[in-house]
Amino acid sequence: MLARMTATAIAALLLAGPAAARDYLLVPARPDKLVIVDAEAMKVDKVIRLENAGPLPGLPVVNKDGTRAYVLMNGLESIAFVDLESGETIRRIEMSTADERVKGMFGMDLSPDGKTLAVYQSPVRMLVDEFQVQPTRIAFYDAETGELKSTAEVPRQITLIAWSKDGSKIYGMGRKMHVFDAAGRMIEERPIHDWETERYSQPDVLDVWSQFEQSGVMVSPFYAARKDLPADDPTAFRTGILTQDLESGDMRMQEVEVADIFYFSMAASPTDKDRIYGAYNFLSSFDMGSSKPVKRVPLPHSYYSVNVSSDGRTVWLGGALSDVAAYDAETLERKGEVRMPDGASISLASVRMFTRGD
Amino acid sequence: MKHLTPLNAKAQQYSEAAEEGREEEVVAMNSMVGCTTSFDPGWEIDAFGGIGNLCQPMEADLYGCADPCWWPAQVPDTMGTYPNWSDAASNVEQDWRQLQSVFPKAKG
Repeated sequence: MLARMTATAIAALLLAGPAAARDYLLVPARPDKLVIVDAEAMKVDKVIRLENAGPLPGLPVVNKDGTRAYVLMNGLESIAFVDLESGETIRRIEMSTADERVKGMFGMDLSPDGKTLAVYQSPVRMLVDEFQVQPTRIAFYDAETGELKSTAEVPRQITLIAWSKDGSKIYGMGRKMHVFDAAGRMIEERPIHDWETERYSQPDVLDVWSQFEQSGVMVSPFYAARKDLPADDPTAFRTGILTQDLESGDMRMQEVEVADIFYFSMAASPTDKDRIYGAYNFLSSFDMGSSKPVKRVPLPHSYYSVNVSSDGRTVWLGGALSDVAAYDAETLERKGEVRMPDGASISLASVRMFTRGD
Repeated sequence: MKHLTPLNAKAQQYSEAAEEGREEEVVAMNSMVGCTTSFDPGWEIDAFGGIGNLCQPMEADLYGCADPCWWPAQVPDTMGTYPNWSDAASNVEQDWRQLQSVFPKAKG
């Protein structure tokens, strides 16, 4: 009987072929929710509640097989290790101590081998009458045990950090693109604030959304005035796009259009790294090959974050209010939206995508 | 310290610290105190002098400014000082009327 059942099961597996991988979104929502959204079905798959996570679980990082998330939360002072299948929090790191308040300021990423969690930290010593600001650092935690393995002092004003695809480097986006080795030692700095100073004013860059997991490219909008144009020329301010390829290591900064509108964040397509999407009150697509905008559509409300499906065909918007919305990546037509339970605001959180076999 | 009575919060802290032998930690305020030095305009008018590039609707941006302590003068700072400010309004679009003004706690 057992042999027959096993044979039947194997036959069923063979008929079904390899397990199809599906895209999911991991959406943090106020004050303590992680909402897993089935991207294809466009519906909520699971709601996970976290303890002491408020006001918002800000930044989740999902492991390769989509079974675990590391979540920066609790005023950016704690990290929860969350089993995405059972919904249980299996471990928790409290970065702050009685004497030192430690905020993970937006930057956290898991090494490609899944063994090390790197967190950008801003520590402050809490004395009787004084907040004593300490040097910023990257802290390296064991991704299984949560043990602090090491720390490395790094420059201030970094927001995002991302491991290179081969795990040998960490990119820290700040006033420069700081390139560290896997232990946090600086090996290179590339200009951002001092990019093309002859032609442009100092670029204005602010990026706090980790949404590079699909394409393997960190993408950020920036804004700078052209110095070759009169200061009162309304077209002098230009929108640019910064890309840091986590596979090749290439970094580019390119002007793409007159800055008549803003974008809060941008993401690249996983199927075409030159196709960039930017979101805020409008959704726009850009072609980095020609440094030109492709298409632009108005949005029904502001969205902070943007991510792209694995097949490159759907752009997902999120953040600010309480829905994630799907747009056709080519036509930018709205396909639909998924509302968060109880209308909970996604606010400033990074909306992540991951793939899991059925 | 027998004949001195603290008159303000700083002096009170100094007295308490002296009793614990930690008076070295009490220093005069010599730099901006707070979570941010960002006082750029942006809530009332956008960079182009209009309102088209502000968040739409404005409720959409309340927590984006509160959580990172971006505009602590306009929106209470939920990162450090007022972590429970939004507890009654997880759905900001619907519950924004639950968001109240905040006032510093009395010191000393």
